[in-house]
Amino acid sequence: MSRREGSLDPQADSSVSPLLHLEAKIQQTHSLARLLTKYAEQLLQEYVQHQGDPFGLPGFSPPRPPVAGLSAPAPGHAGLPVPERLRLDAAALAVLPPLLDVVRRRQAELNPRAARLLRRLEDSARQARALGAAVEAVLGALGAETGGPRPEPAAAAAAIAAAATGGVFPAKVLGLRVCSLYLEWVSRTEADLGQLAPGGPA
Amino acid sequence: MLNASTLALALANLNGSRQQSGDNLVCHARDGSILAGSCLYVGLPPEKPFNISCWSKNMKDLTCRWTPGAHGETFLHTNYSLKYKLRWYGQDNTCEEYHTVGPHSCHIPKDLALFTPYEIWVEATNRLGSARSDVLTLDILDVVTTDPPPDVHVSRVGGLEDQLSVRWVSPPALKDFLFQAKYQIRYRVEDSVDWKVVDDVSNQTSCRLAGLKPGTVYFVQVRCNPFGIYGSKKAGIWSEWSHPTAASTPRSERPGPGGGACEPRGSEPSSGPVRRELKQFLGWLKKHAYCSNLSFRLYDQWRAWMQKSHKTRNQHRTRGSCPRAEGARREVLPDKL
Repeated sequence: MSRREGSLDPQADSSVSPLLHLEAKIQQTHSLARLLTKYAEQLLQEYVQHQGDPFGLPGFSPPRPPVAGLSAPAPGHAGLPVPERLRLDAAALAVLPPLLDVVRRRQAELNPRAARLLRRLEDSARQARALGAAVEAVLGALGAETGGPRPEPAAAAAAIAAAATGGVFPAKVLGLRVCSLYLEWVSRTEADLGQLAPGGPA
Repeated sequence: MLNASTLALALANLNGSRQQSGDNLVCHARDGSILAGSCLYVGLPPEKPFNISCWSKNMKDLTCRWTPGAHGETFLHTNYSLKYKLRWYGQDNTCEEYHTVGPHSCHIPKDLALFTPYEIWVEATNRLGSARSDVLTLDILDVVTTDPPPDVHVSRVGGLEDQLSVRWVSPPALKDFLFQAKYQIRYRVEDSVDWKVVDDVSNQTSCRLAGLKPGTVYFVQVRCNPFGIYGSKKAGIWSEWSHPTAASTPRSERPGPGGGACEPRGSEPSSGPVRRELKQFLGWLKKHAYCSNLSFRLYDQWRAWMQKSHKTRNQHRTRGSCPRAEGARREVLPDKL
């Protein structure tokens, strides 16, 4: 991005102002992502506490069941152009809210007295939605399109809901997977926005 | 460690599950990776709930609470359901509003009949079994309580330094049904935790506390027992105490006696060593000295006058001596009887 300096030309002013606006927007979204990364860490901690040992124990290596419509950030993600990374971040953040809702509903049956966990799951769904919308706004302001076909969030949620109604242990493992993916994508988004924020490499 | 051909195993001496979602049973491969898992729920079947008690607020509803079985902790999610039915007819009903006054309570808000007995019981159920409490039979009219008396006012009684007057209103919600009521008053000194209770305050809405310490702030509360609904002779259930109302007795030069009882308006006081002695003295005077007009009322008036004249004397002492004060002093009876 470049700036024009020292001009009183109104046209010049009108081009400076959108840039400043975009910068502010990127900064805000980056701050939001940083905050939600912290919340996602707390959610994961709270989640494992309520599932019982060996969840949360060092060396616990549960299976990582596939989650329909959502996978972890690819190893090559950091090597992609920033707009492409943000597109992938936005797509993942759009799929996460209904998945977190499914986990919350199952946890409400398994841990009905875990009020704080249930509240964190509910808040996380809303926060993911908000961050996803903010990232899409940044992409729109950058003139980048939001990308090709995405899996329908509802379809992904239906698939995971079916899996979650199985045994209790598989449901616990699946919930752990969703909370881990949420943390991975939110922290990925924070890193990607950091590339665009003032002081970042871009 | 199990071998490849093991198809079953037994786990003995398990402790109760530590979390609601059950304990995890996990099968590991040799390399530590998880092959499969399941959840165990280790606990106890519920024991019989007991100690059911119920009360009705102003005959409009019914709230019940109970104690869960002998040990309480089943380590499993246990559902408690309060059931009720009319004794002579009708179907079983289930209470729906739980945890209203604690974890083991339920509130039935409406559609309750009067003058007919209800049967009430609690069923406890979990994955390992169920248990049912004994049946409690009651008529709503026998378990009525009410809100505390509203508008409690505490005020001084003229200049009397050891008395306070307490007034209140009978609970308005029961005004059409309540022909009698019992009240209790309790009071304490501001910086004390010990309440004194005045018990025998039946069916009146005012009372005078006597024998109090002068120049002292008192907190006063009143509660009501709505016995006498529709003319019944059975006691109801005491209401909560009203919010504390504070008032202070007037200051005095002399230390007060420190405690006393309620004096209903217009009647003789019943306790306190000074007043007992005075009663005896007045009785003797009437017999031997033909002082038929002497009474406690006159005594109270004298005390109020004494206080005034003490104050006047003290004011004049700070300013200088006053012949009038000396003259007044000569007319005053001795402080001590």
